[in-house]
Amino acid sequence: MTVNKENFITEKNIVIGLDAISQRDAIFKLSKILEKDGTITNSNVFAKDVLKRESLATTGIGNGIAIPHGKSEAVRDASMIFAKVLKPLEWNSLDGSKVDVIFLMAVRPQGGDKEHLKMLANLSGRLMDDDFLNFIKKENDPKKLVSSFNKEEV
Amino acid sequence: MAKIVAVTACIAGIAHTYMAAENLKKYAKKEGHSIKVETQGAMGIENRLSKQDIADADIVIFAVDTTISEADRFDGKKICRVGTSEVVKNGRAVIDKAISEI
Repeated sequence: MTVNKENFITEKNIVIGLDAISQRDAIFKLSKILEKDGTITNSNVFAKDVLKRESLATTGIGNGIAIPHGKSEAVRDASMIFAKVLKPLEWNSLDGSKVDVIFLMAVRPQGGDKEHLKMLANLSGRLMDDDFLNFIKKENDPKKLVSSFNKEEV
Repeated sequence: MAKIVAVTACIAGIAHTYMAAENLKKYAKKEGHSIKVETQGAMGIENRLSKQDIADADIVIFAVDTTISEADRFDGKKICRVGTSEVVKNGRAVIDKAISEI
Protein backbone atom coordinates (compact mmCIF):
# COMPACT_ATOMS: atom_id res chain seq x y z
CA MET A 1 0.00 0.00 0.00
CA THR A 2 1.22 3.48 -0.82
CA VAL A 3 -0.29 6.81 0.02
CA ASN A 4 -1.09 9.36 -2.66
CA LYS A 5 1.27 12.29 -2.57
CA GLU A 6 -1.70 14.58 -2.69
CA ASN A 7 -4.27 13.62 -0.09
CA PHE A 8 -7.11 15.92 -1.03
CA ILE A 9 -9.58 13.94 1.04
CA THR A 10 -9.37 15.06 4.65
CA GLU A 11 -11.55 14.81 7.73
CA LYS A 12 -13.67 17.66 6.44
CA ASN A 13 -14.83 15.26 3.72
CA ILE A 14 -16.27 12.89 6.30
CA VAL A 15 -19.71 13.32 7.88
CA ILE A 16 -20.72 10.85 10.57
CA GLY A 17 -24.35 11.05 11.63
CA LEU A 18 -25.92 13.01 8.79
CA ASP A 19 -29.48 13.91 9.71
CA ALA A 20 -31.45 13.53 6.48
CA ILE A 21 -35.05 12.57 5.83
CA SER A 22 -34.70 11.49 2.21
CA GLN A 23 -32.27 10.85 -0.60
CA ARG A 24 -32.93 14.34 -1.94
CA ASP A 25 -32.44 15.90 1.50
CA ALA A 26 -29.15 14.04 1.95
CA ILE A 27 -27.83 15.15 -1.44
CA PHE A 28 -28.75 18.79 -0.82
CA LYS A 29 -27.24 18.79 2.67
CA LEU A 30 -23.99 17.21 1.54
CA SER A 31 -23.85 19.61 -1.41
CA LYS A 32 -24.09 22.51 1.05
CA ILE A 33 -21.06 21.17 2.90
CA LEU A 34 -19.12 20.93 -0.37
CA GLU A 35 -20.12 24.51 -1.15
CA LYS A 36 -18.93 25.74 2.24
CA ASP A 37 -15.53 24.16 1.86
CA GLY A 38 -15.16 25.58 -1.63
CA THR A 39 -15.26 22.35 -3.61
CA ILE A 40 -18.31 23.52 -5.51
CA THR A 41 -19.56 27.01 -6.32
CA ASN A 42 -23.29 26.46 -6.05
CA SER A 43 -24.88 23.67 -4.05
CA ASN A 44 -28.31 23.94 -5.70
CA VAL A 45 -26.88 23.65 -9.21
CA PHE A 46 -24.68 20.75 -8.17
CA ALA A 47 -27.41 18.89 -6.25
CA LYS A 48 -29.73 19.17 -9.24
CA ASP A 49 -27.05 17.73 -11.52
CA VAL A 50 -26.58 14.84 -9.09
CA LEU A 51 -30.32 14.18 -8.96
CA LYS A 52 -30.45 14.29 -12.76
CA ARG A 53 -27.84 11.54 -12.88
CA GLU A 54 -29.76 9.65 -10.19
CA SER A 55 -32.91 9.78 -12.32
CA LEU A 56 -31.16 7.87 -15.13
CA ALA A 57 -30.24 4.89 -12.95
CA THR A 58 -29.94 4.33 -9.25
CA THR A 59 -26.57 4.77 -7.58
CA GLY A 60 -27.67 2.55 -4.70
CA ILE A 61 -25.21 -0.24 -5.38
CA GLY A 62 -26.47 -2.55 -2.65
CA ASN A 63 -25.32 -3.45 0.86
CA GLY A 64 -26.64 -0.11 2.12
CA ILE A 65 -24.21 1.91 0.04
CA ALA A 66 -24.92 4.67 -2.47
CA ILE A 67 -22.54 6.62 -4.65
CA PRO A 68 -24.48 9.55 -6.03
CA HIS A 69 -22.33 11.59 -8.38
CA GLY A 70 -22.63 14.43 -10.75
CA LYS A 71 -20.72 16.07 -13.49
CA SER A 72 -21.44 19.69 -12.92
CA GLU A 73 -20.23 23.13 -13.94
CA ALA A 74 -20.63 24.02 -10.27
CA VAL A 75 -17.65 21.82 -9.37
CA ARG A 76 -14.25 23.54 -8.95
CA ASP A 77 -12.25 20.33 -8.88
CA ALA A 78 -13.11 16.68 -8.53
CA SER A 79 -13.74 15.66 -4.95
CA MET A 80 -16.03 13.64 -2.78
CA ILE A 81 -17.75 13.60 0.55
CA PHE A 82 -18.42 10.52 2.63
CA ALA A 83 -21.42 10.34 4.93
CA LYS A 84 -23.12 7.99 7.29
CA VAL A 85 -26.75 8.84 7.90
CA LEU A 86 -28.61 8.59 11.18
CA LYS A 87 -31.61 6.86 9.63
CA PRO A 88 -31.29 4.59 6.58
CA LEU A 89 -32.74 6.17 3.44
CA GLU A 90 -34.82 4.78 0.60
CA TRP A 91 -32.58 4.84 -2.48
CA ASN A 92 -34.18 2.45 -4.97
CA SER A 93 -31.04 0.32 -4.55
CA LEU A 94 -30.08 -2.55 -6.83
CA ASP A 95 -30.71 -4.99 -3.98
CA GLY A 96 -33.60 -3.04 -2.46
CA SER A 97 -31.61 -2.16 0.65
CA LYS A 98 -31.94 1.16 2.43
CA VAL A 99 -28.85 3.32 2.37
CA ASP A 100 -26.80 4.31 5.38
CA VAL A 101 -23.44 5.00 3.71
CA ILE A 102 -23.12 7.65 1.01
CA PHE A 103 -20.18 8.58 -1.19
CA LEU A 104 -21.12 11.79 -2.98
CA MET A 105 -18.71 12.37 -5.85
CA ALA A 106 -18.28 15.68 -7.61
CA VAL A 107 -16.62 16.00 -11.00
CA ARG A 108 -16.36 18.73 -13.64
CA PRO A 109 -18.06 18.03 -16.98
CA GLN A 110 -14.68 17.98 -18.75
CA GLY A 111 -13.13 15.67 -16.20
CA GLY A 112 -10.32 17.66 -14.62
CA ASP A 113 -7.42 16.80 -12.37
CA LYS A 114 -6.28 13.28 -13.18
CA GLU A 115 -5.05 12.56 -9.67
CA HIS A 116 -8.45 13.38 -8.22
CA LEU A 117 -10.31 11.37 -10.84
CA LYS A 118 -7.98 8.47 -10.27
CA MET A 119 -8.70 8.58 -6.56
CA LEU A 120 -12.46 8.51 -7.18
CA ALA A 121 -12.08 5.67 -9.69
CA ASN A 122 -9.93 3.74 -7.26
CA LEU A 123 -12.41 4.25 -4.44
CA SER A 124 -15.28 3.13 -6.67
CA GLY A 125 -13.45 -0.03 -7.59
CA ARG A 126 -12.69 -0.81 -3.97
CA LEU A 127 -16.41 -0.79 -3.20
CA MET A 128 -16.49 -4.22 -4.83
CA ASP A 129 -14.10 -5.49 -2.15
CA ASP A 130 -15.95 -7.11 0.74
CA ASP A 131 -13.20 -6.33 3.26
CA PHE A 132 -13.28 -2.65 2.35
CA LEU A 133 -17.08 -2.63 2.61
CA ASN A 134 -17.01 -4.19 6.05
CA PHE A 135 -14.40 -1.68 7.15
CA ILE A 136 -16.32 1.41 6.05
CA LYS A 137 -19.56 0.05 7.50
CA LYS A 138 -18.04 -0.46 10.93
CA GLU A 139 -15.53 2.38 11.16
CA ASN A 140 -16.76 5.72 12.43
CA ASP A 141 -13.42 7.36 13.13
CA PRO A 142 -12.92 10.04 10.43
CA LYS A 143 -9.13 9.78 10.72
CA LYS A 144 -9.13 6.07 10.00
CA LEU A 145 -11.63 6.45 7.17
CA VAL A 146 -9.57 9.22 5.53
CA SER A 147 -6.43 7.18 5.83
CA SER A 148 -8.10 4.22 4.14
CA PHE A 149 -9.64 6.34 1.36
CA ASN A 150 -6.26 7.79 0.49
CA LYS A 151 -4.66 4.40 0.09
CA GLU A 152 -4.17 3.22 -3.42
CA GLU A 153 -5.38 -0.18 -4.34
CA VAL A 154 -2.55 -2.67 -4.66
CA MET B 1 -10.39 -21.76 -17.99
CA ALA B 2 -11.45 -19.16 -20.48
CA LYS B 3 -9.76 -16.00 -21.67
CA ILE B 4 -12.01 -13.02 -21.19
CA VAL B 5 -11.53 -9.42 -22.24
CA ALA B 6 -13.96 -6.72 -21.21
CA VAL B 7 -14.69 -3.05 -21.72
CA THR B 8 -16.55 -1.05 -19.08
CA ALA B 9 -18.11 2.36 -19.64
CA CYS B 10 -20.89 4.22 -17.84
CA ILE B 11 -22.70 7.47 -18.44
CA ALA B 12 -20.71 9.76 -16.19
CA GLY B 13 -17.51 7.72 -16.34
CA ILE B 14 -16.89 8.27 -12.66
CA ALA B 15 -18.02 5.32 -10.61
CA HIS B 16 -19.78 2.44 -12.36
CA THR B 17 -17.06 2.04 -14.99
CA TYR B 18 -14.57 1.23 -12.26
CA MET B 19 -16.91 -0.77 -10.01
CA ALA B 20 -17.92 -2.96 -12.94
CA ALA B 21 -14.27 -3.47 -13.89
CA GLU B 22 -13.35 -4.59 -10.38
CA ASN B 23 -16.34 -6.89 -10.03
CA LEU B 24 -15.62 -8.59 -13.36
CA LYS B 25 -12.03 -9.16 -12.25
CA LYS B 26 -13.16 -10.41 -8.85
CA TYR B 27 -15.53 -13.05 -10.18
CA ALA B 28 -13.46 -14.07 -13.19
CA LYS B 29 -10.62 -14.78 -10.78
CA LYS B 30 -12.91 -16.66 -8.39
CA GLU B 31 -14.08 -18.89 -11.21
CA GLY B 32 -10.59 -19.48 -12.54
CA HIS B 33 -10.73 -17.46 -15.76
CA SER B 34 -8.18 -14.98 -16.99
CA ILE B 35 -9.48 -11.49 -17.65
CA LYS B 36 -8.25 -8.11 -18.83
CA VAL B 37 -10.55 -5.13 -18.47
CA GLU B 38 -10.30 -1.86 -20.35
CA THR B 39 -12.03 1.09 -18.71
CA GLN B 40 -13.46 3.94 -20.74
CA GLY B 41 -14.30 6.58 -18.15
CA ALA B 42 -13.60 10.18 -17.23
CA MET B 43 -9.87 9.54 -17.59
CA GLY B 44 -10.29 8.21 -21.12
CA ILE B 45 -9.25 4.71 -22.18
CA GLU B 46 -7.14 2.93 -19.56
CA ASN B 47 -5.63 -0.51 -19.53
CA ARG B 48 -6.22 -0.59 -23.28
CA LEU B 49 -6.79 -4.00 -24.80
CA SER B 50 -4.18 -4.79 -27.42
CA LYS B 51 -4.92 -6.44 -30.75
CA GLN B 52 -3.37 -9.58 -29.33
CA ASP B 53 -5.52 -9.46 -26.17
CA ILE B 54 -8.62 -9.26 -28.31
CA ALA B 55 -7.47 -11.89 -30.80
CA ASP B 56 -6.68 -14.34 -27.99
CA ALA B 57 -9.95 -13.83 -26.11
CA ASP B 58 -12.60 -16.55 -26.05
CA ILE B 59 -15.27 -14.00 -25.24
CA VAL B 60 -15.65 -10.23 -25.02
CA ILE B 61 -17.81 -8.61 -22.36
CA PHE B 62 -19.14 -5.11 -23.00
CA ALA B 63 -20.35 -3.83 -19.64
CA VAL B 64 -21.51 -0.50 -20.96
CA ASP B 65 -24.35 1.99 -20.62
CA THR B 66 -23.15 4.15 -23.47
CA THR B 67 -21.40 3.77 -26.81
CA ILE B 68 -17.82 2.63 -26.54
CA SER B 69 -14.82 4.09 -28.28
CA GLU B 70 -13.08 2.12 -31.01
CA ALA B 71 -15.67 -0.65 -31.01
CA ASP B 72 -14.45 -1.79 -34.43
CA ARG B 73 -11.51 -3.46 -32.70
CA PHE B 74 -13.95 -6.19 -31.67
CA ASP B 75 -15.40 -6.92 -35.11
CA GLY B 76 -15.90 -10.65 -35.57
CA LYS B 77 -15.61 -11.47 -31.86
CA LYS B 78 -18.32 -13.00 -29.71
CA ILE B 79 -19.61 -10.19 -27.54
CA CYS B 80 -21.67 -10.51 -24.38
CA ARG B 81 -23.42 -7.20 -23.68
CA VAL B 82 -24.62 -6.13 -20.26
CA GLY B 83 -25.18 -2.89 -18.36
CA THR B 84 -22.72 -1.77 -15.70
CA SER B 85 -25.35 -2.04 -12.95
CA GLU B 86 -25.91 -5.69 -13.83
CA VAL B 87 -22.22 -6.32 -13.22
CA VAL B 88 -22.18 -4.32 -9.98
CA LYS B 89 -25.23 -6.20 -8.76
CA ASN B 90 -24.17 -9.69 -9.70
CA GLY B 91 -20.69 -10.11 -11.12
CA ARG B 92 -20.82 -13.87 -10.92
CA ALA B 93 -23.96 -14.10 -13.06
CA VAL B 94 -22.37 -11.95 -15.76
CA ILE B 95 -19.21 -14.05 -15.87
CA ASP B 96 -21.34 -17.21 -16.04
CA LYS B 97 -23.46 -15.72 -18.82
CA ALA B 98 -20.36 -14.78 -20.83
CA ILE B 99 -18.83 -18.22 -20.39
CA SER B 100 -22.06 -19.88 -21.52
CA GLU B 101 -21.90 -17.88 -24.76
CA ILE B 102 -18.47 -19.17 -25.78
